[in-house]
Amino acid sequence: MSAEETPTTAALTLRVGEFEGPLDLLLHLCRTSEIDLAALPVRAITDQYVAHLEAMEFRDLEMAGAYLVMAATLIYLKSKLLVPPDETDEQLDPDAEALRQDLEQRLREYARVKAIGVWLGEREAEQALLWGRPVSELPAADEIPLEDLSVHLLERALKRLIEEQNRVRPREIAPEPPSILERMTEILSVLRDTWSLLFSSLTGGERRRSEIVVTLLAVLELVKMGRIRAQQTELFGEIVIERQPGETITNATAH
Amino acid sequence: MPQPIDVVEALLFASDAPLEADRIREVLDLADAQEARGLVDTLRERYEAADRALMIVEVGGGFRMVTRPEIAPWLLRLAKTRTRARLSRPALETLAIVAYREPVSRPEVDALRGVNSDAVLDNLLERRLIRIAGRKEAPGRPFLYETTREFLVAFGLRDLGDLPKVDGQLTLPDGVTAEAAVVSPDGEAQAQQDPGAGGTDLTPGS
Repeated sequence: MSAEETPTTAALTLRVGEFEGPLDLLLHLCRTSEIDLAALPVRAITDQYVAHLEAMEFRDLEMAGAYLVMAATLIYLKSKLLVPPDETDEQLDPDAEALRQDLEQRLREYARVKAIGVWLGEREAEQALLWGRPVSELPAADEIPLEDLSVHLLERALKRLIEEQNRVRPREIAPEPPSILERMTEILSVLRDTWSLLFSSLTGGERRRSEIVVTLLAVLELVKMGRIRAQQTELFGEIVIERQPGETITNATAH
Repeated sequence: MPQPIDVVEALLFASDAPLEADRIREVLDLADAQEARGLVDTLRERYEAADRALMIVEVGGGFRMVTRPEIAPWLLRLAKTRTRARLSRPALETLAIVAYREPVSRPEVDALRGVNSDAVLDNLLERRLIRIAGRKEAPGRPFLYETTREFLVAFGLRDLGDLPKVDGQLTLPDGVTAEAAVVSPDGEAQAQQDPGAGGTDLTPGS
């Protein structure tokens, strides 16, 4: 499941460019224009943001939605700026000002998260050069420490079990081939209603090799007993099975 | 007759998880964890002085024996690969949020990142770098996530106090203060980081 999801997510991130989300894009815009986050200029940043958004292609609705919500917020803030008479004035009414401060706060927070992410990446790179023992060969403890377990592990174990079950294909159970005696009785009962029949009609359909062998043996046995006659006019040709004239067909076992 | 320091060496060699000073004390019947720590320190110095291929590091509240970074190129050649798999940028940033805010719910992570974090969190859970710490008593009772010991090991951290200090809102979670970051001699700081110590809804004796 997750293995299938990962490549799509990666492809998606590429599509949207190097941005992970609206905050990432906004932060990038602020950084490239050397804008101080404390005085987030709504006018300029909104125009740039919307311009970027137009150039983007989205395959994921939710991701597109996240970008659009941010665009809506910015445009709302910008619209508030159009009201004051002096266009250079970036004064907002209290509600809008609160919204801008909130956005500013989120951007700062995100900038910190990014910085720590970079730091973690560097740590990871350093640690990637060290190898410890991956799995201990020590025998398991008699008492399993419960604090290391979590619901997630249980869920994962269950998932694995279910997957294993799905991999196990149902085994096909072959029916027991009929015995020679059964097949002899079958042939004689067919011959009760008709004078002759073709061997292929006995083994036709989807009958398996073992059944064909049993049928042939049954025919040979009946011939030996003198109950039927069998003729094959050419090599690998059709075998015609006939009732022995004058023979009263009863049951093979009655003999 | 093997000396205690030889036993410590063997314990470190045989362990897959960081070995706590207190465990060493227990196994060797030492007076206190400080004595165990002393043995490890002596061993570590001996390794350093002899310029060995292995070294002893302190991560995730314990000690580990690992290969020296200088040996990495040959190990990669042994593994027939160029690099080790690394985490993506979104994964690292999500981990940063969890580490600083733990226990934290998905909606909180989403709000900080500005995007849905479902897939990233699942991926981190799968890698055991985070785990479910319980549920938040909020609408929808979302899961709470926290970092694991594997996280500390993967990033070479003794505990969360090793994370860089940041000003502003991204403060360290409660219980992990700057003081706790300095591992106290009796190993109390490790105990604080012991898995399951905090965050869960479990209360002893209830």
